[in-house]
Amino acid sequence: MRDIIKNEWYYLIRNRVLQIVSIGFIFILSLAVYLGEIQSDNQRKQYDVSKKQLRDSWESLDSISPHGAAHYGTYVFKPTNLLSSLDEGINSVAGNVLRVEGHVQNEIVYSESSQMQAVSKFGKLKSSLLLQYVLPLFLLFLAFNSVSSEKQSGRLKLLVLQGERPVKLIMGKVISVWLYGIILMIATVVVHFILNFSTFSTEMAGRLLFFCLSYGMYYFIVSGLTVYFSARWKNATVALTSMLGIWILWTIFLPSIVLSTVDNWHKLPSRNTFQTAMKEDRSKGIDGHNPKDERGEKLKEETLKKYGVDSLIQLPINFDGIRMQADEEYGNKVWDKHFGGLRSVLEKQKKCYQIAGTISPFIALQNTSMGFSGTDNFHHQEFLIQVEDYRRRFIKSLNDEHAFGGSKTGDWSWYAQNDFFKSIPDYEYYSQSLSTVLPNYFLDFIVLIAWTTIVGLLLFFGIKNMRIV
Amino acid sequence: MRNLSTFLYEWKHFVRSPFKVIAFLMFLLAAIYGLHNGAKLYKTQLVEIDTIKQKIEKDREENIAFYEAGEKGPKDKLWIDITKPFWAIWLGKTYLFKSPSPGLVYSTGESEQYGFYKQVSIWASTMDSDMTKEIANPERLQIGMLDFSFALLYLLPLLLMILLYNLRSSEAEENFLMLIQVQAASINSWLLSRVIFYMLLTLLSVIILLVYGAMLTGVFSSNSSIFNNLFLYSLLYLVFWGGIYYLILRNGRLIINNTLKMVGIWLLFTFVIPAISLQWISIRKPVNYMVDYIEASRDETRDLYDLPDSIILDRLNILFSEPLKGSEEEKEAKIRKVKRVAFAALANELIKNKVESIEIENESKNHSVRTTYFFSPVTFFQNCFNKVSYSHYDDYRQFREDIQYLIDKQIKVLLKDSWNEVIVDKDKYIDYTKELVKVD
Repeated sequence: MRDIIKNEWYYLIRNRVLQIVSIGFIFILSLAVYLGEIQSDNQRKQYDVSKKQLRDSWESLDSISPHGAAHYGTYVFKPTNLLSSLDEGINSVAGNVLRVEGHVQNEIVYSESSQMQAVSKFGKLKSSLLLQYVLPLFLLFLAFNSVSSEKQSGRLKLLVLQGERPVKLIMGKVISVWLYGIILMIATVVVHFILNFSTFSTEMAGRLLFFCLSYGMYYFIVSGLTVYFSARWKNATVALTSMLGIWILWTIFLPSIVLSTVDNWHKLPSRNTFQTAMKEDRSKGIDGHNPKDERGEKLKEETLKKYGVDSLIQLPINFDGIRMQADEEYGNKVWDKHFGGLRSVLEKQKKCYQIAGTISPFIALQNTSMGFSGTDNFHHQEFLIQVEDYRRRFIKSLNDEHAFGGSKTGDWSWYAQNDFFKSIPDYEYYSQSLSTVLPNYFLDFIVLIAWTTIVGLLLFFGIKNMRIV
Repeated sequence: MRNLSTFLYEWKHFVRSPFKVIAFLMFLLAAIYGLHNGAKLYKTQLVEIDTIKQKIEKDREENIAFYEAGEKGPKDKLWIDITKPFWAIWLGKTYLFKSPSPGLVYSTGESEQYGFYKQVSIWASTMDSDMTKEIANPERLQIGMLDFSFALLYLLPLLLMILLYNLRSSEAEENFLMLIQVQAASINSWLLSRVIFYMLLTLLSVIILLVYGAMLTGVFSSNSSIFNNLFLYSLLYLVFWGGIYYLILRNGRLIINNTLKMVGIWLLFTFVIPAISLQWISIRKPVNYMVDYIEASRDETRDLYDLPDSIILDRLNILFSEPLKGSEEEKEAKIRKVKRVAFAALANELIKNKVESIEIENESKNHSVRTTYFFSPVTFFQNCFNKVSYSHYDDYRQFREDIQYLIDKQIKVLLKDSWNEVIVDKDKYIDYTKELVKVD
């Protein structure tokens, strides 16, 4: 087998056209990583400047009531992801800015794609674009006549007569084409590693390993299937056109058809319906700004009883802060219910999409590529949950200061000091560890492994009764 | 006559090639699916707008009932006084809708990136969070909806490639070319006739699909120029790809080489060039985190509350063509009464200036996109399709401009009526609900 692979490689290396194409490919892949890196770096700088500017505004707050500060609020920007220079995923459509304030849980806004007219349906020139769409096509062109040309020249017959097993020959061809894809992919990863040497971590290495594994499996599927067609079909053109048809189906048709269909199966509510339902549920709770609210009255009685006093004036604390925190906590429950519902629909959609990998391994590849790059919807949702957790801690600190900082009920002119505002920590994003991310892509991995096994079996058993002339 | 016989032979070739027939049917299916996706989005938006309009109507009926009963507003909200212009307008709920074009059936464009309705108030801005897209799966948005324009832009060149890939080269490989030259006089015109046959076949299917799409959303009854323009762009796009493929076929002798070249060109025009263009624009003009807007709408607006009344009054007089009238004492007393609206007016000016600079920045990105048109035809046609279906960035910018116009109008009317202490009755209320939604 090793000799067959070696021989195939000699043939590939000697081919002048392939040499030029390979150099061109490595160049464009490196360029894609490099440009992706510059773009991510620019965005990172923009992120740092924006974050600092708004933090400075927050830290300069003085002589303002804690509740005034809750309305003033702060903003959280979505940071660039670990490997976003390799695969941008949903970053350009998902929004970048989230307002954090009292009473309201805002949505993430200002996506990059909303800031200009349409340019590219398939996103920016990231390595993933070339590795997912272009490289498999290239492998397909390398493999489609690998066996049929041997048949036509009579070499295959000669080799078999010399005692070589056809399966071995075919597997050798598959592996040599597959290795070509793997080398180009590794070249991409190496360039990425060189450009990110200073920030490279074991976490990134782990993610890259799984990233490469999923691409490796996909390349084997494409190479194996094309070589199989080349061996089965009499004519190389038929092998090429069949595989092209499959490629078009897998990469162009199915992903968008499946996602559109899944979107119809598990429907997301319209913004208006969603907000009306949230507003209705929210109205059943305490109104933090309305002292005459019934539920607020009940809380008042409980607080008076707790402190053993008869009126709000006698309270050693500021009841307004307690009422507003109760309002927040009720709002949090409403948020959990409704946004939890949204997330559950999105999870169902994702699950269906992952299952669709059984008809198109490209879907599984796309999922794992985005996932291990940290740019998919799972990571996005995790970011939104982290921000909401931060919002709750942020608002609670302000309400607690309002309630227990030294003011009395009804005293809205009591101001917290600058030190207090400075003491509230800024938002920090914690990227998910690989161990928490892996279970999300278990299904995609199973799908890719299943496809790899099926193609392997097809090559092993399907070739046995192949005609060698 | 010779062309006709070439066409007839080509038709036989076509129907006897299962690969080509399947590809053709798949294209038709994908395009029909895309048309239905577009029509569904069109209908969903119409239903959503209708739901909101019904709710507004119901709320307005309740408000009119307050006037008829001589009440000042809901009994549990005693601070509301519907006879005052502020509350009358506030409760009147002014909405502006971007009604979907029936052309959405052909191209959903950027309609999923932006909101299509907006409640206009004196505190509203065109960059508010409710101006963002509908609730959607971001992964679906990233992959993109399979609409008719997707089928045209990406699948049509593929279909054409499948239909044409072996023309001339299969005869060349089988050494039939000399024989054909004897029969057809010119190989090139024979090849051209065959290419034209497939282009006509594709064009005919596109026309049928366009008509089918038009029937789904009533394009002909509302705006037939959508159909005409889309037909024209589709024709140009088809000629563009047909021309490129013809040149490849004319100069190539091997099926495999021709296929490689065709796929290469397709990848270059549909994937690589637009992706490089987007990356280039993104590096030159990175994503805007809107910090200037945030600071204007939050910090600078907050600073307005510290301004003395006299300065507020001066600024208002500069802002509006009709000066606020009255003696100095009257003005001093009145400015206190209209302070809420006055702050909104000044904040609106601040925010408007920032929004303008954001729009200029976005426009410079769009300008960069337009400079790529001459080497990125797919981007050009994509934007043409979006324009035809009124789902282009510019259509949403126009929508934002209309919203801003209504915000300005509402502030002006409210300030004037509050200053003049207008008492709002039922007729005045109805007048508000009609006037404040009119974009002149």
